[in-house]
Amino acid sequence: MTSGGPLMPPATGTASAAVPSPSAMQRFRRTRRSELVIWWREIDRVLLGLVLVLMIVGAIAVAAASPASAHRLSTHQKALGDLYFFWRQLEMQALGLIGMFAVSLLPKDTARRAAIMLAGVMIVALVLVPIMGTEVKGAKRWVLGIQPSEFLKPGFAIAVAWILSWKVRDPHMPVIRLSMVPMALVAILLMAQPDFGSTVLFGGVWFVLVLLSGLPLARVGWALGAGIVAVILAYFFYPNATHRIDAFLSGGSEFDQVDLAMRTLVAGGWSGTGLWLGARKNALPEAHTDYIFSVIGEEFGLISCAVVVILYCAIVLRVLLRLVDEEDLFTVLAATGLVAQLAGQAFINILVNLQLFPSKGMTLPLISYGGSSTIALLLGVGFLLAITRRNPYLTRETFHLGELTRK
Amino acid sequence: MNQLTASAAIATGRVQLASVRQRLLVTAKVRVLVVAVGFVFLTLTALVRLTQLGLFEQAPDRRSLAEALLPPRGEITDRNGVPLARAFPSYSLWFNPKALGEGGNPLVKTPEEVARALVQIFPDADYKDLVERLKSGRGSYLRKRVLPEEANKVFALGEPALEFPRENQRYYPQGSLAANVLGYVDEEGKGHVGMEQVLEPRLLDPAQRGTPVALSIDSRAQGALEDELLRGMQESNAKGAAGIVLDVDSGEVVALASLPSFNPNRSDRAFNDLVFNRVSNQVYELGSTFKPITIAAAIDAGVVTDLSVRYPAAPLHIAGRTIHDSHNFGASLNVPEALIHSSNIVTAQVADKLGGPLLKQTMMALHMNQRPTIELPARGFPLWPRGENKAGDWSRITTMTVSYGHGIAVTPLHLACAYAALVNGGIWRPATLFKVDPAHIPAGTRVFKASTSARIRQLLRMIVADGTGRKADASGFRVGGKTGSAEKPGNGGYRKTSLVATFAAAFPMDKPRYVVIAMLDEPQGTAATSGQRTAAWNAAPIVGRVVPRIGPLLGVVPDASRDVDISDLSPLIGNGEGE
Repeated sequence: MTSGGPLMPPATGTASAAVPSPSAMQRFRRTRRSELVIWWREIDRVLLGLVLVLMIVGAIAVAAASPASAHRLSTHQKALGDLYFFWRQLEMQALGLIGMFAVSLLPKDTARRAAIMLAGVMIVALVLVPIMGTEVKGAKRWVLGIQPSEFLKPGFAIAVAWILSWKVRDPHMPVIRLSMVPMALVAILLMAQPDFGSTVLFGGVWFVLVLLSGLPLARVGWALGAGIVAVILAYFFYPNATHRIDAFLSGGSEFDQVDLAMRTLVAGGWSGTGLWLGARKNALPEAHTDYIFSVIGEEFGLISCAVVVILYCAIVLRVLLRLVDEEDLFTVLAATGLVAQLAGQAFINILVNLQLFPSKGMTLPLISYGGSSTIALLLGVGFLLAITRRNPYLTRETFHLGELTRK
Repeated sequence: MNQLTASAAIATGRVQLASVRQRLLVTAKVRVLVVAVGFVFLTLTALVRLTQLGLFEQAPDRRSLAEALLPPRGEITDRNGVPLARAFPSYSLWFNPKALGEGGNPLVKTPEEVARALVQIFPDADYKDLVERLKSGRGSYLRKRVLPEEANKVFALGEPALEFPRENQRYYPQGSLAANVLGYVDEEGKGHVGMEQVLEPRLLDPAQRGTPVALSIDSRAQGALEDELLRGMQESNAKGAAGIVLDVDSGEVVALASLPSFNPNRSDRAFNDLVFNRVSNQVYELGSTFKPITIAAAIDAGVVTDLSVRYPAAPLHIAGRTIHDSHNFGASLNVPEALIHSSNIVTAQVADKLGGPLLKQTMMALHMNQRPTIELPARGFPLWPRGENKAGDWSRITTMTVSYGHGIAVTPLHLACAYAALVNGGIWRPATLFKVDPAHIPAGTRVFKASTSARIRQLLRMIVADGTGRKADASGFRVGGKTGSAEKPGNGGYRKTSLVATFAAAFPMDKPRYVVIAMLDEPQGTAATSGQRTAAWNAAPIVGRVVPRIGPLLGVVPDASRDVDISDLSPLIGNGEGE
């Protein structure tokens, strides 16, 4: 398995070495096709299906929220069509799907290298943000038309997983301390924007990976304590966090974003008003991004909201339970990191909409409208598919709870 | 270091590494499960919260898409589908002082500034009243029926306390047309007076309110009737007027008007005294219009067989009272002459020969002793002669006065149904405001023989052709009818100057289709009515003008070559003047 790429038929080697001839071309085509067949056999098709279902839900939800946001963001000079965001989202989803497909075709090692390079490039881009970034809504997050923090997400999870998996080769290497370096770097760069929400998310992913890599339980306690201290520090020294946490603890004021989102969420009852029949969404800022969950609630009902929650949970369980008979530590770490990234962001967004968490500027992954975020998330899914590829004809060492006692 | 030890060191290193890998993998997998459990916990938290929101948050108004497309209150149309009452959702302007939370100032600007801005948007608004309301701190309507563009302007003021609840208003596109039939809807959405009240459950039922209710009213005939009644009322300076057009074969009310009327669109205005329906709710002594009924009962019973028989026309003295005519018509009159000249004396003698029980029986068969049969909620109870003994039998004098329409008071609607029975072959049918399917016309009850009805058609036509109803003789429409001018009872007897002038007619007499009744309450003698108060001069001309307007609309074409054959009766009458 360490050799990486899919098992190639012997003919491939001879064909690539030989001078192209009509028969070789024929073989080449056949190998291309057989490569796709192998890809189809090896990838996690259930995961792919769940992600596609989520994207369809997302397209419908963006269609529902699009008119509200288009009206809100239209200006005198430029009027946005009712379905402006819907069509844009379809474009982004198409681009993202192409990216996802391309990435998922990569052999595991190539995928790992590509992700680490992506992380490196994006950290450089993050450095550039304060220098040449554009400011949107009081925060500098954009550079050269993309949002580096979004593209950093998949790369970061894989890079940290890679660092932590060094321990398999050298048990004495202080991998946890080493992994703090990229974490600290990213945290500093993000807080400079400032982007408290993303910092918390990156911190959470890092913590999950460190937890998986065998952090002693006493240290786990320390780390949790440190996290709480960090949040408290942010509360005192970072005005935006102060404001949002205050609002959460005191129940907020009437007609703030969270309150409007809650009114929207419950306005449809169990079964919703129906597509484009919601009225509350029109009063909601960020209907197509941060609060799209509430729009789903109004137009398609709380039951649909529950279905969305269950979809995310199904993705998490599908990926994590499949790791139980995995033999490669890096794969376990990277896949867990990627799925924690996606689901963590999803649950933070959902819990904010349900008023169980202080508001964060965070989108609902694969559902919310977004250019960079949609493409970056689908790239992440592509990496996840590439890393969790496995030969269905090999039996694996299965994991029993009994092994716990043997340890 | 020999080869053996070196290989052993490598071997132990590999074994160690393999066990490290194994240990790390097991730890990682266990913690993967912990992470999975963590996400399951988050999922359950979200689901519990969603359930809690669904159960305990205020449930929104449930409205399905299909329901949203239905009118909130069903529409009412006339018999041809012309809308008479429509659902009209509109905005209201509501001041909600709690919109910005409890305590503090309910408005962003001062009440004076807001009121000034509102007056600029609604120039007819009262500035002082607005300031008072905005200062009061109590929620109240600032305005009803706000147009969308006005609502946008108010919204642009940026005052969250000014809200625009969408409310259902009723709109009557034809204004006051058929107002007494329709009634109105008050601010709470409750129907009053007319069909709005009667049909309330049907109009609000989600299963039925999508289909408009078709009334029997024809809006064109209704408009013509109202127009001509108003003209007649103004020309004669009358206090009020009532009119009805009734289909003689089905009992459908094609037009029904009571004046003065009201505009149901302005339910905010006080029009309590105008909603009174003179057609179905007010009882009148309708006087001479009853004479054809008496004659028909007598012909039906075989009491009058020979129309050439002459009766003395000298005033009658019965039970200390004197019955006399408006003029002296000579020594004697036969029945056709008595109707043409409207002789009380002769009609009373015929009724006397017929006898009280038979006349009473006919009147009861015509439902003169009960409230009129129609869907309207307000129906007047007739003043029915109680009779002089315990069995309720009518004495001679009661029988005689009832025969010419005194001592009994009914609504104009009673009279219309009775006239329909007189001319349609003798069948009495209840009047209805609902459109009747021609296949399901009620059977009705027979009151007169078909031969009697045929005779009455001749007699009624003669009254219009040669008698008191000449001003109703719309050429080509073969109108037949009877005038009636009854003095209204006042303190200590009848008042000579307060009359109820009625003309009860039907057309075309060769095959009657519609009964038309016009009634004026207390008409005055004016130049337009040649100084006369009687029905021949004010009510009959109304019918004469209504019939040519509604006839062609209702399928009756004027035809001078057709008429009911009255050649057998013509020799019996000389020309004369009468009331």
